[in-house]
Amino acid sequence: MRSLEQIIQQCSELAFDLHFKHAVNWKNHDASRILVGYLPIYFPREIVHAMNGLAVGIMGTGDRKQIIKGDAYYQSYICHLPRGIIEMALDTNFENFDGFIFPAICDCVRNLSGMFKLAKKGKFQRYFDYPQNFNPSIGGQFYIQELQKIVDDIYKINKVTLDTEKANSSISLFNYNRQLIEEIYSIRQKYPWRLSAVESYYMIRSGLAIPVEEHNLILEEVVEALQKDRGEQMDNIRVIISGSFCEQPPIGLIKSIEMAGCYIVDDDFMLGSRWLCKPVDDTSADPLNALANSFITSSTFSSAIYDENNSKGKKLVQLVKDRNAEGVIFSAASFCDPALLDRPNLQKACDESGIPHINFQYHENTGQFKVIKEQAGTFSDSIKLWA
Amino acid sequence: MDSQLLTLGVDIGSNYIKAVMMKYSEQPKILETQCEKIRKRDPGQVAEDMVQQILTNHDLNYENISYLATTGEGDLLKRKRGHFYGMTTHAKGAHYLIPEAKSVVDLGALYVRAIKISNDARVEDYKMTGQCASGSGQFIENISRYLGLSIEEVGDISLTSENPEVSSGICAVLAETDVINMVSRGISTANIIKGIHISIANRIIKLMTSLKAESPIALTGGMALNKGMIQALSEQLKETGKKFEIQTHPMAIYAGAIGAALWGGYRFIKINEKLEMKV
Repeated sequence: MRSLEQIIQQCSELAFDLHFKHAVNWKNHDASRILVGYLPIYFPREIVHAMNGLAVGIMGTGDRKQIIKGDAYYQSYICHLPRGIIEMALDTNFENFDGFIFPAICDCVRNLSGMFKLAKKGKFQRYFDYPQNFNPSIGGQFYIQELQKIVDDIYKINKVTLDTEKANSSISLFNYNRQLIEEIYSIRQKYPWRLSAVESYYMIRSGLAIPVEEHNLILEEVVEALQKDRGEQMDNIRVIISGSFCEQPPIGLIKSIEMAGCYIVDDDFMLGSRWLCKPVDDTSADPLNALANSFITSSTFSSAIYDENNSKGKKLVQLVKDRNAEGVIFSAASFCDPALLDRPNLQKACDESGIPHINFQYHENTGQFKVIKEQAGTFSDSIKLWA
Repeated sequence: MDSQLLTLGVDIGSNYIKAVMMKYSEQPKILETQCEKIRKRDPGQVAEDMVQQILTNHDLNYENISYLATTGEGDLLKRKRGHFYGMTTHAKGAHYLIPEAKSVVDLGALYVRAIKISNDARVEDYKMTGQCASGSGQFIENISRYLGLSIEEVGDISLTSENPEVSSGICAVLAETDVINMVSRGISTANIIKGIHISIANRIIKLMTSLKAESPIALTGGMALNKGMIQALSEQLKETGKKFEIQTHPMAIYAGAIGAALWGGYRFIKINEKLEMKV
């Protein structure tokens, strides 16, 4: 059995391989295999998996690629994520990809789908819309139609049909994947010193670039390794990070928050991997309907979802209680409209419940964390010493 | 309160590591202090060795310490109980050394921070220098190295200056160029050093003014022990007509570590009280 350190090392390499070598190798084993890239936040990878494909999460370049061409595509008041992704597209990073899915989250991502189309990247470029109506007979039907478009796109490439048995088997694998991730979060909630937020981040992000079967094996190893105590318990405050669901924070930022005396007991960094809060029915005769039902009834709360009853604040407060957290750090990418527009409501909900909070913004390639460390440090001290 | 409550504070700076062991009580007492220059060594290991040395000196082991708290770049020390932010610890440490202080100016190696504190050492407001090194202790170290002086000599030499040559107070790089020019113009070492001290003193006064610091102001950090620096600051305060009253303490360099040790004791009691309430 490998040590946790070896697993973390492997995951960190997989998570930040901007050429997706592991996924490309997987594809090269069989002519009918395809690679489909998808952007944040959530996409039901199950259907790609069931059709002999690998849905690869494209989470941006972080601080690992210099952006030259990408800046020419976006105005200065647009976030960093699409600049990096178009830079990757114009370089060779996506050479082996067959298609791209752009889940609806904001105008920047919608425009990016158009740029991919104009640049003829991949065999299909699908802007994937989500229902804003949570009535299963309306929003659910709409969602099924959107999923069907993807199924048709993939079929045109590899002629693989969406078989019910295969789809249920894929759903089952991803249910298990989500279950394992939740187990890791639960362990970290109880013993946050056993696995740092950065280590956990590597593990979850690596799953976006490898087949789910392999990721499940890694997560099983991690869950087993975390049964034993590791590291020393520190007198840190327990915080939840909110707002980092799309453009990912640089690793240095997560480290800085932890080093400033905070245990991150929950976050929305890799929210797509934890999107569905309950298992999807893996016995259904209509798997697309099962996925649609899950989206309608079991989605987590997020700025990407139109929330009719405006209950995101309540859900955040509930999460703080469930995780026994002492504060919230609102950490969003600069110019991230969904996160920044939601922030005042979420802050208001925290204020009403007496939950301390701070906020700051970042770019995925931010390299200086001194100010953030100071803010997080004073926040931690204020809770430890004066709360 | 447990009279045998021992706490350790370790302040990992960019040049020096300071460690303080205290007996925490209503009248906390310093039992031992250690200060070590890093000198291109692994700071985490230096800190670890210092902690071990203090424990050995008192025939103790790690488990006898109720709370080991770090500050500064404290994440470099693996074995610890908690970490406090530098401003919080300097405020507490300064309050311990100079209880009447209403403001603190931390004269560190990388930057200067002016902090307003409450009666219970709570940080109320602060201002600090930006990224530029021209107001920092590291800058004085660099200049002293160019001039072939040890950092310990700098303060006394500055006091002998008769006609100080003031350098750029805005940018360390420009100031270093100034110093090179001064050397080639034959300006004496004492006058160069005093000029640097005056330039830094002016930046400190600007910080104190913009913070609206209240007196008495406690000076902490490594530069607080530099006699030349303190003299220059006093002179500049007089010259600019500012009514700030500054005070320093022979243990000012340990303020961060003392603050960490004190907050560590406070947290230890608070955590135990919470646990008792749960039981």
